[in-house]
Amino acid sequence: MAFYSSVFNIVFKRNSTFVASIFAATFLLQVGLDEGVTRWYENRNKGKLWADLKPKVLAGFETEEAEDDE
Amino acid sequence: MLSRLSIRSARSLGLAQATRSISATVPAFKSTYDSPDFTHYLNSSKGSSDKSRDFTYFMVGSYGVLGAAAAKSTVEAFLTTMSASADVLAMAKVEVKLNAIPLGKNVVVKWQGKPVFIRHRTPDEIEEANEVDISKLRDPQADSDRVKNPEWLVMLGICTHLGCVPIGEAGDFDGWFCPCHGSHYDISGRIRKGPAPLNLEIPQYEFADPETLVVG
Repeated sequence: MAFYSSVFNIVFKRNSTFVASIFAATFLLQVGLDEGVTRWYENRNKGKLWADLKPKVLAGFETEEAEDDE
Repeated sequence: MLSRLSIRSARSLGLAQATRSISATVPAFKSTYDSPDFTHYLNSSKGSSDKSRDFTYFMVGSYGVLGAAAAKSTVEAFLTTMSASADVLAMAKVEVKLNAIPLGKNVVVKWQGKPVFIRHRTPDEIEEANEVDISKLRDPQADSDRVKNPEWLVMLGICTHLGCVPIGEAGDFDGWFCPCHGSHYDISGRIRKGPAPLNLEIPQYEFADPETLVVG
């Protein structure tokens, strides 16, 4: 109970602190959500992204000299 | 009905005035209207009032967070429309620090959306470029016509056949090789073998000072 009343007194009581906490939470939410969703998406598509394929493609160019694909 | 209301208000008003005249410390918030008893609906335990209050404020605050995030995204969307448009960026020049490019190495720079190949050529390569018999070339051009300073080869990395980007330090002529249809370019960027009709294009560039190349 002391926790809830202290939270109220520190954050929610004055409107200036309340609004400041809302803006801080907005920034954290946007950055965190962007990072989190990007990481989940890249994890879900592992092996199909260019970052994963690039070393294999470059290795393919190292071994082969001329390609005739006409 | 109107008369009944006025009697009630007069009575309550009369009561308030009477109460005020009796005592000066009457609590002003105490309602003098008849109201039902809600106590069996109210939260009974006294201790959880802070928790429920915090919960309410948290819910309101979360709504504020979502609204602020939406407002911020909207403002950012409008501001990006005011940043440099594609045609302004397309007319832009690009500066390259030449001391960052070691001898005998290629560097690719993006300019107006196109790749620009810059090669720091060794004296052997310059000699090789000059020794080629121009009359035997598909697109005859002397190396001295293609470069301002033979040490630095600057050209657009777009194959003149169908627009792929050739690969550096590849091909049969010590230059570039286009993997799409097999065009070979030599150490001066001239076409030697393969389907491309012209040499790699030389863009407008200048040496602002001996260490800086400005393309465009």
